[in-house]
Amino acid sequence: MYCPYCESEESGERAEGQTGALTVCPNCGGEVPVEEHTSATRCPYCDSYLIFNERVEGQYEPQMMIPFQIGKETCKESLREKFKRCLFAPVDFLSEARLNSIQGYYVPYWFYDYDTDCRFQGEGTKIRVWRSGDKEYTETSVYEVNRSMDIHFEKIPADASEQMPDDVMDLIAPFQYAQMTAFEPKFMSGFYGEKYNMSADAAEMRAKALMQTDAEKLLRESYAGYHSIKMVRQDVTVKSRKVAYGLLPVWKYIYHYKEKEYPFYVNGQTGKIVGTAPFSGRKFMLYTGTLWACLTAGLALLQVLLGFL
Amino acid sequence: MENDFRKEAGKQYLHYFRFWFMGIGILALICIVLGIRNSRREEVPRTNNQAPAERVYDYADVLTEEEEEALRRYIDKTEKKLKIDIVLVTFSQSVEGEAAMKEYGLRSQDWEQNMQDIADDFWDENHYGYNQGFEGDGVLLLHNWYEGQNGEHLSTSGSVERAFSVREIDRVLDAVDQYYDTDPGRAYMAYVKKVESLLDRTPALPFSWWTVAILPIIIALIYAAGGSAQKKAENTVAVNAYVAGGKPEVNEKTDALLRKNVTARRIETTSSDGGGGHSGGGGHHHSSSGASHGGGSHRH
Repeated sequence: MYCPYCESEESGERAEGQTGALTVCPNCGGEVPVEEHTSATRCPYCDSYLIFNERVEGQYEPQMMIPFQIGKETCKESLREKFKRCLFAPVDFLSEARLNSIQGYYVPYWFYDYDTDCRFQGEGTKIRVWRSGDKEYTETSVYEVNRSMDIHFEKIPADASEQMPDDVMDLIAPFQYAQMTAFEPKFMSGFYGEKYNMSADAAEMRAKALMQTDAEKLLRESYAGYHSIKMVRQDVTVKSRKVAYGLLPVWKYIYHYKEKEYPFYVNGQTGKIVGTAPFSGRKFMLYTGTLWACLTAGLALLQVLLGFL
Repeated sequence: MENDFRKEAGKQYLHYFRFWFMGIGILALICIVLGIRNSRREEVPRTNNQAPAERVYDYADVLTEEEEEALRRYIDKTEKKLKIDIVLVTFSQSVEGEAAMKEYGLRSQDWEQNMQDIADDFWDENHYGYNQGFEGDGVLLLHNWYEGQNGEHLSTSGSVERAFSVREIDRVLDAVDQYYDTDPGRAYMAYVKKVESLLDRTPALPFSWWTVAILPIIIALIYAAGGSAQKKAENTVAVNAYVAGGKPEVNEKTDALLRKNVTARRIETTSSDGGGGHSGGGGHHHSSSGASHGGGSHRH
């Protein structure tokens, strides 16, 4: 099956295999190691992609997904563009050979919908100052401020993968939901995948915290304009909640440097990159030392030159 | 592969610093060319051979032998650079009042007038001046250490007379005043250095060699900090990213006035008068031999 998204020539036919610690590749017969939650992987011998039906069906069938919108080459270019100014990164960090190890993952996510009732009560102060003749007047007005609003939150995402770091998955957002489609296994061809391995209840804490923060921010925006505000009461009440399961596309690049892993994650839809470049102490010393030597030599030569004039 | 990365690292390094290396190379080349040109350039010869070789006359005996030698060496170097004569005379003698006037045949009873006359006459009688023995280019500092009449007079001649206004004369005398009572050797060195800095027209960077050594360290540290600072990523999720329709449905929005008060205060205006002035130094005049001089005095 040809994959229009990964631009990979390696993309092979969709194969169905058995799950377990090891599974047999139906294409070449090789033994493929499979993690507990893997739903799609690649045979290391023949590069065929295997999709495990039982991990994308029934209770594990995603209700929605965003297919990869940027290919591997675009992703590599984005990484090069973002980190080209990282002077002290090792030389091979952005080399073609290293970047070729980038892999595309469909990360399992829970999406939460909340209907909320948000209320705020407080005392706001407005101050007006003006001058007349040789006097300065200050008018202080105190208001009772009441706000009540319904906020309908839709598809607040929280990743359902224990392997993916939560802070990174939060930073890699936002995804544009306009490109969200119903789940189709064909989109997984050429990529790695996981079924959810955290329950919706376990992952909800992060979505709720985000909802609470955003609701409070929206309430604050509604009473902007006061010089100071004293809160009397603030409530964010969830009236109803819905949860759905889906997959979101993420490119992952792991760079190994001095026995340490430097992971980089790229939003497979928008190209947003999360990660920090590794730091080469040798390069740092060399470049900083050279700059210092150049500046010193330049200034010294200028002094000498001006002395000759 | 390791070799390829090394080659790539070398290429990156040279590419990154290519403008720096080229700029330094060009500067070094210009310096070499100018250095060779200057070494071949003939020195402007001293055209006045009438004046004595001595420049330091410590009649008041306030300097040690070493200090005198150091001064002579520095004056010699500065004279060649500026093409002027630089002379120092110290003495201790009353130059004020009727008694002094009669005893030493002075023109006046006034301290400043007499200091000026002595300085100008010393210059003229010794035929000082780099280019000529009459109204030649140079400067003389006369310091009287006589108790109760301690002070200096700076006499200028030729190109220095034209270059120094009252302001420059005061600056030279101020430089001497800063150290004369604690370290006369340093005070007279400051005199020569101040004359040098005021007359030296060689263009120079507006900072010292110390700055040349320290400034690059500071810039390199800022560069290093800038190159090392990184954030994983910015949070770019808008506050309403997950809100249906992009905004909340507002049910109530009331702002009821509870109370209001107005206070007034008088605006204070302040005015101040400043004043004060400074006078000192001296202008152009003619000495008893008819030569034109400039100059000024500081009395302590």
